[in-house]
Amino acid sequence: MASFDGAQLPRQPLSMGLLLSLEPPELRRLLKSGLRLGLAPPELEQLLCQDWGLEAGSPEADTLLAALAERDWFRWNPQAERWKTHLG
Amino acid sequence: MTKIVCVHSFRGGTGKSNLSANLATALALSGRKVAVIDTDLASPGVHVLFQFTPAPDDATLNDHLQGSAPIESCCHDVTPAAVRAKAGQVFLVPASMQSDRIARLLREGYEVERLNDALFQLGEHRHLDVIIVDTHPGINEETLLTTAISDCLVMVMRPDSQDYLGTAVALEVAQRLDVPNALLVVNKLPRHFDGQQVRDRVEQSYGIPLGAVLPLSDELLDLASGDLALLTVPDHPWSQGVISLAQKLIDGIL
Repeated sequence: MASFDGAQLPRQPLSMGLLLSLEPPELRRLLKSGLRLGLAPPELEQLLCQDWGLEAGSPEADTLLAALAERDWFRWNPQAERWKTHLG
Repeated sequence: MTKIVCVHSFRGGTGKSNLSANLATALALSGRKVAVIDTDLASPGVHVLFQFTPAPDDATLNDHLQGSAPIESCCHDVTPAAVRAKAGQVFLVPASMQSDRIARLLREGYEVERLNDALFQLGEHRHLDVIIVDTHPGINEETLLTTAISDCLVMVMRPDSQDYLGTAVALEVAQRLDVPNALLVVNKLPRHFDGQQVRDRVEQSYGIPLGAVLPLSDELLDLASGDLALLTVPDHPWSQGVISLAQKLIDGIL
């Protein structure tokens, strides 16, 4: 699993400049994947599994998504029914 | 799904807009539906290649990014007759050429997320095969976004020391953003330069495939960006290089 400490993440709104500076690479990839059309739930599950070694719904996956949602960086879009990265 | 091709350069004056317009035309000549989006909002220009001047009531990208105009209404059909004859189509989303609109954009900015959503809405609405994003040179929020969401980054440079360094920076950024495909284009190669030497240097320096090496040419200078070289001088080595680049994109991502 990629190392991740949610507490270390900055609390400012996400910009592309900030996204570019984030570590680990898996975090950049997750947020990048939420651009374009976003991620359908099975796509997110696959990415979490392949990139992070996490099972969807596991405490670790929930912690990761909660840290991003808390910052309003990555959220569920009910209209599109996809997970989307939010800039600004 | 619509493929996004981002045509970018680290520095200005590389011929990026000229390449974007001609590349779009080359792809459309193969029967595809292509749109060119001018995201060089501070210094727009790609519309000139298509001899399109937005009328006062024509919506531009600015009207979508800083207003309420749907992106579809900002998209104009600029298909040249020769492309139409091959069942292709070219659309253009121009940026505003009004100085007050450019100033407003620089002053107030816009939510770059709107640009992301606009590209995909447009692709779906017009059933586009490809969107070519003609970017502002250098690195800023818009260019980072368009680089990140592209299916292929076409990086344009001149055989110039500053371009060599700047291109390395831009490609490092693209690597951090996991851009799935990248092609390098060397443009404006002076006649007395050794093309093979430039090819070798570029391939060794960057480790990404070379899309094309395009010559600097008096004939193209005579066009003064007022027309599409691909249609005006189709047999010229520059035009042939663009056709070959289009074929690489067709083979690689389309």
